[in-house]
Amino acid sequence: MSIEITTPISEETIEQLHVGDTVEISGYILCGRDAVLPKVLKMIEDGTAQDLGVDLRGQVIFHTAVSPAGVGPTSSNKLEIESSIAPLSAAGIKLHLGKGQLHAETVAALDRYNAVYAVIPPVTALLGARTGETRVVAFPELGMEALHLIKVDRYPAIIGAAHGRSIYD
Amino acid sequence: MTEHYEEIVARVRETLVEAGSTFREDKKEAYRQAIAAEQNEKARWVLEQVLANAQAAETNRSPLCDDTGIPHLVLEVGEDCAVTGKMLDAIKEGVAEGLRKLPGRPMGILGDDSRRIDQSGGLDPDPAGVEPAPILLRRCKENVIRLHILMFGGGPAIRAKTYRVFHKHSAQVVLDEIVQWATEGVAQLGCSPCTLAIGVGRSHFEAASMMLQAQADGRYDVQSEMEREITRRVNEAKIGPLGLGGSTSVIATFMKVGPQRASGVRIVCVRPACCFEPRIATVELGE
Repeated sequence: MSIEITTPISEETIEQLHVGDTVEISGYILCGRDAVLPKVLKMIEDGTAQDLGVDLRGQVIFHTAVSPAGVGPTSSNKLEIESSIAPLSAAGIKLHLGKGQLHAETVAALDRYNAVYAVIPPVTALLGARTGETRVVAFPELGMEALHLIKVDRYPAIIGAAHGRSIYD
Repeated sequence: MTEHYEEIVARVRETLVEAGSTFREDKKEAYRQAIAAEQNEKARWVLEQVLANAQAAETNRSPLCDDTGIPHLVLEVGEDCAVTGKMLDAIKEGVAEGLRKLPGRPMGILGDDSRRIDQSGGLDPDPAGVEPAPILLRRCKENVIRLHILMFGGGPAIRAKTYRVFHKHSAQVVLDEIVQWATEGVAQLGCSPCTLAIGVGRSHFEAASMMLQAQADGRYDVQSEMEREITRRVNEAKIGPLGLGGSTSVIATFMKVGPQRASGVRIVCVRPACCFEPRIATVELGE
């Protein structure tokens, strides 16, 4: 039985999630990967994140490009992506959605900020039927790698890291 | 020639779409058998999702994965067949049309050498901006011209390895090394279960071309003794689909061993092809 999660995600919802839980995610979520996440971090450091026009608190960040080919997870343990997880969690992101094993330091950082990591199967054709409107939020010059906001309906995922534990341990 | 040219363009276009959207029947059956045998509930869930995704993609003729891949082409030429420059142009145009129709992900990088390396030249918004890799040409027994189109994703490229192995006059030494590389690669690859594509040659180019041909020729229902051993041993690591545990880390192994030289060294290429690969379709372009 899957746990239904709708964005924005509350602190209480995160506290009740555990490694191995199957979830379905609905609502508006952010999408970004290698190229754009360092730029978002720079905005957070510079204190200009409000210029994004979206509230990061309670949000999901899906590690994917957004293109006419659809969406699908890229590896979350790529350097520029995994290194974004701790600071984005500190800024209010509650769920990082991707694939692949994270390092122990990242798992610990997720716990520190009461955030979780979920693994989504790379099922682009199935996700296509569950994806609604999409729009570019920032850095349009990055094309498919720009920061996007998309509306999703019951994206399937498994909680891969929560409360200091990892499904890969 | 114009009519024939257009016909080749159309056939290549539709074949590329098929490659990017369709599991071959032997692969579907391999997944069904893996689902039936898998005891780990989460692993079975992932396998079912991947197979359902394949069925949806085939029905819609839409991409299996949002990383639609880089086209890799194997062109087979029969005894009395001639490949002309015009035919190669038609193949290239067909690939471009196929990428637009699939649609392929627009991920071609613009700019000079330096800008293409650091990605500062921007992205080509046209899916056809993703140029195919150099064509591999080989002879075939039948008197036809046959084209295999394979779409190579980025994840397996990150985890693939081509390097030398000192064989110590033992095939087992080389197999042990392959199993070690493959186990490491599969563990790091997010999108498993894998099909291991392996080439053994005398140079890096030859080993990589053997790896490509292994994917063109491999079948899930025909496995050699060495292929079965590699699959079994990597699966013993219990990495499982998406790394979530279980006994299905690898569905099958496709291995091609080329000619070898008198030397203590073999050059080995191991590509942990992701759950959608080989994304392949084949077409005959004429006699």
